[in-house]
Amino acid sequence: MNFEVNGSKIYYTIHTGIPVLGDFPITETLVVSWIVMAIITLLCIFLTRNLQVEHISKRQAIAEMIYEAAHNLVRSNTGGTRFDWLIPLVSAIFATSIVSNLICLVGLRSPTADLSTEAAWAVVVFIIITACKIRAGGLGGYLKGFTQPIPVLTPFNILSEFSTPVSMACRHFGNILSGIVIDGLIYAALAIASSAIFGLIPGAVGDVLSQIPILSVGIPAILGVYFDWFTGCMQAFIFSMLTIMYIANAAEG
Amino acid sequence: MGTQELVGIVPWTFIAQICNLFIQLWLIKKFLFKPISEVLEKRRKLTDDELKGAREAKEKADAMKKEYESSLSNAQAEAANIVSSAQKEAQSKADKIVKDAEEQAAQVKARAEADIEQEKKKAINEAKDTIGGLAMDIAGKVVEKEINENDHKKLIDEFINNVGEAS
Repeated sequence: MNFEVNGSKIYYTIHTGIPVLGDFPITETLVVSWIVMAIITLLCIFLTRNLQVEHISKRQAIAEMIYEAAHNLVRSNTGGTRFDWLIPLVSAIFATSIVSNLICLVGLRSPTADLSTEAAWAVVVFIIITACKIRAGGLGGYLKGFTQPIPVLTPFNILSEFSTPVSMACRHFGNILSGIVIDGLIYAALAIASSAIFGLIPGAVGDVLSQIPILSVGIPAILGVYFDWFTGCMQAFIFSMLTIMYIANAAEG
Repeated sequence: MGTQELVGIVPWTFIAQICNLFIQLWLIKKFLFKPISEVLEKRRKLTDDELKGAREAKEKADAMKKEYESSLSNAQAEAANIVSSAQKEAQSKADKIVKDAEEQAAQVKARAEADIEQEKKKAINEAKDTIGGLAMDIAGKVVEKEINENDHKKLIDEFINNVGEAS
């Protein structure tokens, strides 16, 4: 039996004729991303419907809790209200990441299982980091920072600078992809196992039962608690935390 | 339907995901952060207003309390004044009554004394007359002799007067 993990499906290709970028493929990643965005936005609208000043509903309490949690996370990690502009970005990254990671539970392919997604986020964060560094120390100070502590280290400093977005993107992508690979492996292995076990039953009953991957029911869900739920939440949190930390560090010069 | 590479960056997907991230950022800001922060701000304002109102009410109550206390002490002082003035008045009235009574008593006593004196005089005069007559009778009877009544009367009056002064 062969087992393979594929990249996201390409539903439709728009021919653009632009030299470097090439054709625009409408991939599964993009479609599911839009679904994720729709889910988040509808959730936001649902949570903030009919807001009251007094006698708040449970829904509003949850919305306010999310709001406070986002503010507390950013403020406690940056020490103050200086980085409040970061809150919506971090919230957007966190929400998109966590919903994208968990959407594989309903059978859709996670947009985060495509390196393009994480690379996009990481590059956004990298641009903000660089902008903060330049604003804190000026362009000269920023460039001079690469020759510290001794000029010989300049190439390594540049490498380390670029390793930030690469590591952020690859960490997240790797974790989600590994979850998909392991899930696929487990399904395949359990299908083979159940076919082998139920094939031992003699006669027609064994023939029928061995065709159905009975062991695949239930067991992957238990493993999914770690590989999908835990990893999904953890990676979303790590990516958001790193965003906050890197940007806060950069702004301090 | 083809698939893209498992690990790789598709430029268009990359650009689209950046756009998606910023659209998502805007949507979250618009539909979650803005309404919630508005409500929180409103609530904060409401709480502030209520606190302010409570503080004002407390100040008012304190001022009123002070006013009441001062007016109460004023009233007490006034009451004390009234009582003391009433006492003084009563005292003076009582003094006056006693004085009047004393004066009256003194008058009564003086009049009584004058009456007594007059009565005494009257009685003495009567007694003088009576005694004079008696003496004339007695003397007439004793001497049996016609005497000039006028001379006798003179003699007797003298005698009685001497007696009166001696008594």
